[in-house]
Amino acid sequence: MDPVTLFSIIKGGIVLGALYALMATGLSLVWTTLGIFNFAHGAFIALGAYVAWQFSATDAFGWPLALGIIATSLVMFAIGAFLHLTLVKPFERRSDVVLITVITTLAGSAILENVLLVIWGPRSKQIPKMAEGELAVGGFHLALSEIILLVLVLAILVGVGAFLRYSRPGRAMRAVSQNREAAQLLGLNVPMYFALVLGLSAVTAGLAGVFIGTIRFMNPAMGSEPLMKALIVVIFGGVARFSSPIYAAFIIGLLEAFSIYFVGLYWAPAVLFFTMIVVLLIKPEGLFGKYQRTL
Amino acid sequence: MSDPILSVRGLSSGYDPIKIFRNVDLTVAKGESIGIFGPNGHGKTTFLKTLSGLIDPWSGEIIFDGQRLNRPGERGSRKWRNFNYDAVTRRRMDPKQVARAGLIHVQQGNLLFPELTVAETLSISTTAARGRKGWSLAEVQSLFPRLVERNDHKIRFLSGGERQMVSVAAGLMSAPRLLILDEPTLGLSPKIRAELCAAILTVKETGLPIILIDQDVAFLEQIIDTLYLFDHGRISGRMSREEMPDHDGLMAILFGDQH
Ligand SMILES: Nc1ncnc2c1ncn2[C@@H]1O[C@H](COP(=O)(O)OP(=O)(O)O)[C@@H](O)[C@H]1O
Ligand SMILES: [Mg+2]
Repeated sequence: MDPVTLFSIIKGGIVLGALYALMATGLSLVWTTLGIFNFAHGAFIALGAYVAWQFSATDAFGWPLALGIIATSLVMFAIGAFLHLTLVKPFERRSDVVLITVITTLAGSAILENVLLVIWGPRSKQIPKMAEGELAVGGFHLALSEIILLVLVLAILVGVGAFLRYSRPGRAMRAVSQNREAAQLLGLNVPMYFALVLGLSAVTAGLAGVFIGTIRFMNPAMGSEPLMKALIVVIFGGVARFSSPIYAAFIIGLLEAFSIYFVGLYWAPAVLFFTMIVVLLIKPEGLFGKYQRTL
Repeated sequence: MSDPILSVRGLSSGYDPIKIFRNVDLTVAKGESIGIFGPNGHGKTTFLKTLSGLIDPWSGEIIFDGQRLNRPGERGSRKWRNFNYDAVTRRRMDPKQVARAGLIHVQQGNLLFPELTVAETLSISTTAARGRKGWSLAEVQSLFPRLVERNDHKIRFLSGGERQMVSVAAGLMSAPRLLILDEPTLGLSPKIRAELCAAILTVKETGLPIILIDQDVAFLEQIIDTLYLFDHGRISGRMSREEMPDHDGLMAILFGDQH
């Protein structure tokens, strides 16, 4: 393999990894805090992309993309918190909450996708690129938009991590995820933190959707394949710490890029699933996981 | 005498469908500390969890400083067994409201937040205070000097005694007006236990009323003014500190003489 090809595979893998990291972080945030798997996460991805398109596309509102991204984050936060109140909270005190919320979030996902279809129609759309131009050294090419994407994803992940670690609401969120009863006895507003977590998770999913929308064509079902990958990442990496799905995301991204090169687009998902199963056979709690789930 | 700080009338509750305790009446006067003594597994912890709202009361009332903590009325009968009542009914009591009113519950064997450090835990422990003045960080650190060296350790690496100290410290920083301690010295080594007992005595001497559950009668005698005997989910006796017999005497009252 010549170095130029190798470089472009690795580059592709890292970009994929960054997107997966963003999606998986939101998913694992909800899993560790609320103890449920949010199957509407994929629909959040599509929703984020469409909302950003509405704000930023030249044939819609035509705002600058940066402004569009900020507005999209606010909308996603509100929708995430709202879906928590409607899809999760009513079942919170039931012992079978995990199973019930699989159904309710799947239902929510189907409804959201159809709402997208009704509002924006079936035709594929694309969000304007974040920047034109590229860096080229010899045969190595690196698009400016890819650099911006990587920097933004990194900034978002570092931001969320720092929020959880250093800010008071972030610490309270971790406390709520680790011991719900003890958190209540300290006077923490547990339902509010749950809504906050779902809002935050929806923001990260929506932003992932925005980035995907600048790279590929969008359609209302665009979230389902990334959701599958995010699931693989979370299960593969485990959720022992905030960072475990992030490492796992880059491993999976690179693995996918190399698989696509060596075995082709159609077999690449099989390679990913196979790797995940092997890891689970050896280490059931995930590559970086521990037995307990906690934020 | 002035109004009581806590007044419990006809309280019953349990873990659906099993009622664990029934018809409990109990009063804590302002400035008074009470103890609850009884055999294991008879519902003391369940009673305290109901006081702090972790479990919904089934019937009865909890009045804290003149303010009713649980919503009035019996727990509704569940007419349709498969109906999700949680979706439409509000909880009958909200633990965060109870904590914010100043009724602070330090749980038995509290695991706290395993992945948070001591410092992080204490930093979020002022939430319930809401403008009331609780213990400051410096004050709880001088009460429990051990916690200073453990400041940056995660709770899961602490010993049972140290974790209990963090629990009590967090409770004090929540600005309690009545502090509930559920078996704070259970399973601790004699040295740590002595430290903790001394600290709790210091807390009592600040004038803060305490509800204390403990199996050690000598320790109870140091802290409390009134003792309630708790037996099979009921209050079976009430006595002042002066009337309190020793451990064997209490066991004889609870089980008869032949134990
Ligand atoms: N989470 C629970 N679910 C069902 N039953 C419980 C639960 N916790 C405790 N119990 C039962 O309630 C009874 C009273 O327990 P508890 O209140 O802990 O007693 P105590 O504190 O006096 O030792 C026990 O029989 C115990 O088995
Ligand atoms: Mg107990």
